[in-house]
Amino acid sequence: MLTIVAALFTLAVGAGFVGALSGLGGGVFIVPALVLLAHIPMNVAVGASLISVVATSAGASVAFVRDGWTNLRVAMILECATVTGALTGAYLAGVFSAPVLEMLFALMMLQSAYFSLRGHGESLVSKSDPLCERLQLGGTTTDEHGRTVGYGVTHLPIGAVLMVVAGVMSGLLGIGAGAVKVTAMDYFMRLPLKVSSATSNFMIGVTAGAGALVFLSRGDVAATVAAPVALGVTAGALTGSRMLPHLPSEALRKLFVVLLILIAIEMGWRAYSGL
Amino acid sequence: MDAKADEEKILRTWTPFLLRTILIAATLILIFGLIYTGIREPAYYVSRYRLVQGGTATRPAEDFIELVNGSLSGDAHSMLTLGLLVLTLVPLGRVAFTLILFIRERDVVYIAATAYVLTALIAGMMLGRIG
Repeated sequence: MLTIVAALFTLAVGAGFVGALSGLGGGVFIVPALVLLAHIPMNVAVGASLISVVATSAGASVAFVRDGWTNLRVAMILECATVTGALTGAYLAGVFSAPVLEMLFALMMLQSAYFSLRGHGESLVSKSDPLCERLQLGGTTTDEHGRTVGYGVTHLPIGAVLMVVAGVMSGLLGIGAGAVKVTAMDYFMRLPLKVSSATSNFMIGVTAGAGALVFLSRGDVAATVAAPVALGVTAGALTGSRMLPHLPSEALRKLFVVLLILIAIEMGWRAYSGL
Repeated sequence: MDAKADEEKILRTWTPFLLRTILIAATLILIFGLIYTGIREPAYYVSRYRLVQGGTATRPAEDFIELVNGSLSGDAHSMLTLGLLVLTLVPLGRVAFTLILFIRERDVVYIAATAYVLTALIAGMMLGRIG
């Protein structure tokens, strides 16, 4: 037993660590690690991953919320969209066959690789559009000189549609879909990047939690796999986020893009063979 | 202090506390569950793991009360599953807390938004039993 637990824990620590360094989250790496290396069925890997995503989101959100980086009102509104998507995705995960899920996972990894290379949104807006103004979604942040600056929020409907997509991806594939969430908030809703990242992280807990509850109540979570994986991914993510400021981010980003493409090819080939 | 600032202050103080507390509780249950399984039922763990790998491990979903009773009677599987269930209660607890706060502040739009999210999370548990 010790060998199995140690192997799963080590894989999970590695996935959580790489997920934190790449900014993509542990789910993107733990699902292929479990499927390709530990020979765990896709639906079980997705269930275990969703639970570990809840844990890492909760762990990382503590500091972001306390320090004021998370826009709680934006999160509350957009969570309506993400949970709707997550429930749909988690339900569909019980309908689709494993090769279909693996092929979708491979495509999601390629999309993550593209998002990793994409630039960030334009400059901030000082005033929210009428809808966001009515919902009091604007907030304040700190600029590079340490000054407090206000920001407005725009295009809530576009953000909400993308959040439904992120939710479906999360429930279906066992990931946090942080890349889509950050893009929606940073690129379309014009929130500051750091606020977008912190708010995305906060919302990921609810998104993955909705999916995890479906998997748990369906009996699709194998405790023997999910327990060491949840502990390992959380430990790896905490270590990775502490080391991140001391590492060369640009070189790491390129390395992770190559890694994502290689894993996507392997997952895609496996799915194609099983179809 | 206006209502929005008051809400923000309470949320920023209590949300991290709530997240950290439930996360620590779940982590402790999982660690204890794994150690207990390793001491009392290692062969059960290995056989379950092999069944999972083979895609033949089926077990009906249990409810919270069954898991608590199972854990108290020393069932390793119940202990591990209870730890995982507590972990998934992190977002549920956080949203429920936020809903109470918005009700207190009579913030209608956000009451509706958080009530929808909370209902969706609870519906997730039922959806899994159907599908």
